[in-house]
Amino acid sequence: MVAPSATLSVLNRADGSASYQCPSTGSNILGSVNAPVELPGRRDALKPEDATIEVFVKPGTAPAGVGERYVEGILKTLLGRVILGREKGYPRRGVVITLAIIGGESVGRGDPYLILLPALLHTALLALLSASVPLSMTFSATVLAVDESGQILREPSAEDAATAQSVHVLAFSSKGHLLLNESQGSFDFDTWDKVRQRASAICHGTQLVSADGDVAMAEDVDGRPLEGTLRETVEDQVYRDYNWKINAA
Amino acid sequence: MASSAPPPALTLPPSQFARLQPHAYLLAHLSPPASSNQPSLRANGRQPAQFRPTSANTGSLTHTNGSAVVRVGDTTAVCGVRAELLPTSDIASWSVSHASSGAHKRATTTKNDADADADESHIQDLNLLVPNLSLSTGCAPGFVPGAPPSALAQSLSHQILGLLHSTRLVRAEDLRVWYQVPSFGGDGDMDVDAEEDEGRKKKNDGKEIKAFWVLYIDIMIISLAGNAFDAAWAAVLAALRDTRLPRAWWDADNEMVVCSEAVAEATRLSLRGLPIASSFCVFEADAAAGWRAVIVPDAEEEKKIEEDQRRGMQRRWILADPDGYEEGLSQERVCLVVDREMGKTVIVKMEKNGGWAVDGRELKQLVDTAAERWESLKLILEQC
Amino acid sequence: MSSPLVLLPGDEIPSEYLPSTSSAPLRLGAGLRLLSQPHRPTTSNNSTSSPSHVLTATQAGILSTDNKRNAVSILSSPRRRYVPTANDLVIAQIHHSSPDYFHCMITPQAPHAVLGQLSFEGATKKTRPMLKQGDLVYARVLSVGLGAGAEVELACVNPATGRAEPGGLGPLNGGMVFDISTGMAARLMRASSSTGEQQEGVAGLVVLDELGKKLEKAGGFEIAIGRNGKVWVDCSNSGDVAVKATVAIGRCLTTIDEHDLNPADQKKLVSRVLRELKIEV
Repeated sequence: MVAPSATLSVLNRADGSASYQCPSTGSNILGSVNAPVELPGRRDALKPEDATIEVFVKPGTAPAGVGERYVEGILKTLLGRVILGREKGYPRRGVVITLAIIGGESVGRGDPYLILLPALLHTALLALLSASVPLSMTFSATVLAVDESGQILREPSAEDAATAQSVHVLAFSSKGHLLLNESQGSFDFDTWDKVRQRASAICHGTQLVSADGDVAMAEDVDGRPLEGTLRETVEDQVYRDYNWKINAA
Repeated sequence: MASSAPPPALTLPPSQFARLQPHAYLLAHLSPPASSNQPSLRANGRQPAQFRPTSANTGSLTHTNGSAVVRVGDTTAVCGVRAELLPTSDIASWSVSHASSGAHKRATTTKNDADADADESHIQDLNLLVPNLSLSTGCAPGFVPGAPPSALAQSLSHQILGLLHSTRLVRAEDLRVWYQVPSFGGDGDMDVDAEEDEGRKKKNDGKEIKAFWVLYIDIMIISLAGNAFDAAWAAVLAALRDTRLPRAWWDADNEMVVCSEAVAEATRLSLRGLPIASSFCVFEADAAAGWRAVIVPDAEEEKKIEEDQRRGMQRRWILADPDGYEEGLSQERVCLVVDREMGKTVIVKMEKNGGWAVDGRELKQLVDTAAERWESLKLILEQC
Repeated sequence: MSSPLVLLPGDEIPSEYLPSTSSAPLRLGAGLRLLSQPHRPTTSNNSTSSPSHVLTATQAGILSTDNKRNAVSILSSPRRRYVPTANDLVIAQIHHSSPDYFHCMITPQAPHAVLGQLSFEGATKKTRPMLKQGDLVYARVLSVGLGAGAEVELACVNPATGRAEPGGLGPLNGGMVFDISTGMAARLMRASSSTGEQQEGVAGLVVLDELGKKLEKAGGFEIAIGRNGKVWVDCSNSGDVAVKATVAIGRCLTTIDEHDLNPADQKKLVSRVLRELKIEV
């Protein structure tokens, strides 16, 4: 399994940005975050004590339609729970997240956005981190498909997903909560339970607590856990930014 | 205002308290003091897992092919299905896609399907199902009549379309208008693409698709008091069950599709299964505990919450079929669409977003609740 | 100092990283907060044994501790947006004026900050500076206000003493403003305010010292650094190379910011830029 790759702060004028490529699903997303921003008008519609989160998903080839509205809603609900919108400077302001799908297969009308959802979620998270928007935790997400023989496929391609019995997107927080589940197809609960376990292993890895109390990320069939990959991306950026400080110390 | 009278003690009628302190109001209902000996009920008098009374009525709109009005509590959805003919000659890519459709024919069909040979991809490829949900009816104070579709309406439309596709509720076969090519004189008529037609004919025993029915499924939420999706989907389901398509055939002499006027000849759609949606929301006791505090429980605290729950100190409630008031107070939503086949519950769609209270164990319980809801709603839909 | 601790939102800060020297209350800076609280300490016995509070990061960055002030904060992305904090020095641009206030722009995204017409050194109703739209001021953030919709207030004078403290506050005349990242502005601030002669420069920056040495002959330069990611440079003493020198300084600073150059490269860059602009040193 080829790990996804990401870069932080790719755009100059946005407060935070990230680009994200996932080779197995072929998705390539560019995300930007501006926060906090004054939202023009509609002041009465803003929550007085919380930030208003706006998510825009721009498909690469067509104007955004109902499918995008739907996936924007999913992202908004999830991110709304993760962003600390009550921190200083955020109430009554907006957190505007724009995600452009710049590569990979386009999503047709009525097609589920499920395959792209983890990539969109990760891009949004990295862009938020790059903009230093206060978050209560990080998360990682994956998409799994179950085929007719009950085999679980990780990060299926669009064709695989079309032939699969069911497709599941799961997101886990860095504290181990199940943050999001989107399942479609036809399946029973036991299948879902297996999918959940596999997804948890993909996102967190199998955690081994070693003698000195460190949590070691174990390598398993799914390669490095996604959480570790995301963390490394952010750490790399931090090390690059604070090179001068680290070298001096 | 007379200032002479002594100011009365500050007492509020419950309805005002509900508006001023909605969170505390619902919390007080759900966790009454132990001394009061009152059961834990929601502000609307329901048990946490109780759905609102549901009624359905079909065939109320006479100018549609099928229609239904579904009322779930104070949420009312009207659905009308209108069928229009789409001649294959109007489909630009028809001859190409039809010839190649055999290759990915089995893509979406499953082994236990009765009509395994049906090519279901037609519905999705040709957009034969067009649902559209409208909230701009003045159904709730926030929705202005005549406004462009809100993000919620668009997202609900998409959810319904996605569910129609993923459940494969409507059979593509029901939407096809066939023409039996007479076995004589075939070579005389075909000139340009005779070769291609030859292949097609062989595959379909001389039958040809001349047109498709396109179903325009329009849903109007005429009153919105929370949980629009359940009501809208139930209305779609009831309307599709009610839909009759007139008998249509290809008139070879006039080269057009002709429909029969006789009502007796119209056929109902044969739907696959009966997927029924149940939505839930999670109400958290400490969500508004501190004005600024956001408390994120970690795994250990989760365990503690569970322990408390066993001791009867509940801090989270999963509320079935939330009304508008409850929806405004909760962030986490669960939406389940289940079907039952031969006593087994099949999950068709399972969504959970916006929080961390619901995990595997809770979802398992909710699937059971949704299965019970399936039984009761099935009766309602079958009676109407 | 051990290797720096990189934290992501939701990570707990190990207690050994917290300064524990003084008895003063711990001050939480940007990017940190008390997120996880043990619930209901009365219901369970083991919660009393666990620490009474857990500090959690809310931004990604390096943990930075200050033992003197007993403070901890997170240094997050240096390219982040400037968020006004009391006592920061900023370079603001006048947008328009009203009878009592100048309305200034600190960052293009944020709402305008107000600067009292009389908050200048020695200003009275008669002698107050007449600033026009587009003029620049070097000001201190007096208060950021509490709650939603509060206005940021600036001042070019210390309200207690009536003097422009620290020096240099007030209108900026002439010169030129360059945009840099907020992280770079903070570093420049530390580099320019410290007088100690250090081998490696302060905060990894030697560019100001280097430029100072090289441009001394040409008449030196004036610089004002705003925490909002602006740097104002003026070389009006430099005579006919004034414009060239200003451009050279600006180019050096923005290039170092963009490419995160180390001290050796900074020196090379300074020489190269001065050579390219044909400024004699």
